[in-house]
Amino acid sequence: MKILLVEDDREAATYLIQALDEVGHVTHHATDGETGYAMASGMDYDVMIIDRMLPRRDGLSIIESLRAEGDATPVLILSALGEVDDRVTGLRAGGDDYLTKPYAFSELLARVEVLARRSSPTEAQTVYQVGELTLERLSRKVERGGETILLQPREFRLLEYLMKHAGQVVTRTMLLENVWDYHFDPQTNVIDVHMSRLRGKIDKGYATPLLHTIRGAGYMIRA
Amino acid sequence: MPDKARAPTASGPAAENGPRRRFSRLAYLWRTTTVRLTGLFILIFVVASIVLLAFMAYQSAIVLQRQQAADVDSEIAELMRIEERQGPRAMALAVQRYSNRPGPGIYFLGDDLGNRLVGNIDDIPDEVLTNEGFFTFDYNRDPGAEPEDNERPEAQGFAAARSVVMQSGLRLIVGRDVVERRGFSAIVFQGFGVGVLGIVLLSVLAGALTAQRVLKRIDSISGTSAKIMSGALSERVPITRRHDEFDELAKDLNAMLDRIEQLMQGLKEVTDNVAHDLKTPLTRLRNKAESALREGRTPEQLREALETTIAESDQLIRTFNALLMIARVEAGTPSGAFEKTDISAIAEDVAELYQPVAEDAGLALILDIAPDVSLLANRELIGQALVNLLENAIKYAARDDGKGTIILSVKRIGQRIRVAVADNGPGVPEGDRAHVVERFVRLEKSRTEPGSGLGLSLVSAVAHLHHGTLLLEDNEPGLRAVVDLPARIG
Repeated sequence: MKILLVEDDREAATYLIQALDEVGHVTHHATDGETGYAMASGMDYDVMIIDRMLPRRDGLSIIESLRAEGDATPVLILSALGEVDDRVTGLRAGGDDYLTKPYAFSELLARVEVLARRSSPTEAQTVYQVGELTLERLSRKVERGGETILLQPREFRLLEYLMKHAGQVVTRTMLLENVWDYHFDPQTNVIDVHMSRLRGKIDKGYATPLLHTIRGAGYMIRA
Repeated sequence: MPDKARAPTASGPAAENGPRRRFSRLAYLWRTTTVRLTGLFILIFVVASIVLLAFMAYQSAIVLQRQQAADVDSEIAELMRIEERQGPRAMALAVQRYSNRPGPGIYFLGDDLGNRLVGNIDDIPDEVLTNEGFFTFDYNRDPGAEPEDNERPEAQGFAAARSVVMQSGLRLIVGRDVVERRGFSAIVFQGFGVGVLGIVLLSVLAGALTAQRVLKRIDSISGTSAKIMSGALSERVPITRRHDEFDELAKDLNAMLDRIEQLMQGLKEVTDNVAHDLKTPLTRLRNKAESALREGRTPEQLREALETTIAESDQLIRTFNALLMIARVEAGTPSGAFEKTDISAIAEDVAELYQPVAEDAGLALILDIAPDVSLLANRELIGQALVNLLENAIKYAARDDGKGTIILSVKRIGQRIRVAVADNGPGVPEGDRAHVVERFVRLEKSRTEPGSGLGLSLVSAVAHLHHGTLLLEDNEPGLRAVVDLPARIG
């Protein structure tokens, strides 16, 4: 994957580039807003990671200009501002996701990979399939190996989100944001409790588990 | 309290402000509002006094003139009566008698050609001799009539007199020398000058005294302020027993200072707690990293040490985020995100999110949520507050016998909205309830539990942001935390 990183903190950028390189992504780096904007409009990237506060040109204005030019490359905004309002302005400017500093690399990686997938045209699926597990979005039916599994509405949405991103790591925060639509910070392991319930319904009694816990990162559903 | 504060204040301001004041005391005084106002009042008072005195002097001159005119008229009437009863000769004798009296009296009796028969003036203008009425004119004092007055350098005079034609056809002129009256006016105006001078002096004196007194009070206030600014936070403005406006001001200032001191105290406590609660995990973090660096560690041990390190730093970040969030909420900044929010729906969402967690902790989460309770609010913050309350309840009320319950209720009572989380756990002793809302406060027995000690502080801050309060009540047994909000919509 080809990633553009616009970040003025050289140390943080070096760390990020190295970590992204280790998982096989190529990262181009710009240290100020103007250079970042020039690189973004001059080349094709799969995902752009743009810091909000940059020298010479503000991150949000870069995104606004790109969007005005019809560039739909997914953008992850990085920011030290974590207030709900800040998130809303960031997304309104055309950002696709918003991550507050300091962040865990696993969180950033999971979000970047989900964003990159979003831009590919496999969007409007009505049926998700992972191994012998199928989820029909319209009839809200879930089956595994021909057997119907009954899920609560929220469990259905949880599974739907996981299956939409099958093979990708989704973090707990991503689940809370996308399934429950809250950006707050739970102290206890709420998401884990829900996941273990869901696992009990879809994996219990089957030889091969589909729902995997990725240590230090989150969850993944895969055959 | 005021006595304690007064003693140091008396000497303080002079010592601190001395050089500046001495440098140009007059310039400083002139800059003060009090002195300027006093000056303005003196000016107004003096002008008003001058106008008043001038008016009085003018009025007395007029009265005097009228008096003289009345005297003149009564003398003429008397002379007419004498002429009528005793004949022109007796009248002429009377005029002669009058003329010889010392004083400002002017008399003239002449024939119809204007030749003097008797009297003490001469050279009367023709106009006066041919017309009747009241005139003012220059005249020549007759030297023959007042032989002893010969040495007077100028016999010229200025008369105000009435001219009449008597029954007998003789012309009678009776008047007064105005120069005499001017002498009186001079006395009046001299008195007026002295009066004005006195008034100016008195008002300057009174003004200076007033200004000095006011300035003294103000100096005592600014002296106290200077001391407080230099660090003596417990200083207070002295209050006198006069109960005047300065005492009112001093009381308000002291109340403000109390509040500031209280806030400073709070800030200090928070700083101390931050230092403690952030330093402890930072120390653990450092120790962990250091021990991982020691010789002879297996890769597994290293990995485990690093994972703990990350977990510790995550906890630190959370604490930090919570602190920032409280600070922002308390500063009242996230107002942009205020919109009509369905509190019932949030409560149901959060309850659904925590239902499994409560069950795992052996607690029944019971909902008592009135439908469609809406409020102008920040959805995320209300959600976070509810999460904090539920997490608290789950953490402290967890038990093994399966009899633990948490009741989450949302109710509208009149114009209030009450969001309550009640548990039947151990509760919080009454004396500690106010305390647990403070930042970083965790009761001793829960020190070992995970958590930042910021949960209830945030709930309280969110309640305040929405113009409400967080109440901690006894659930007998257990704790009932109530977020009591005014129902503001739109």
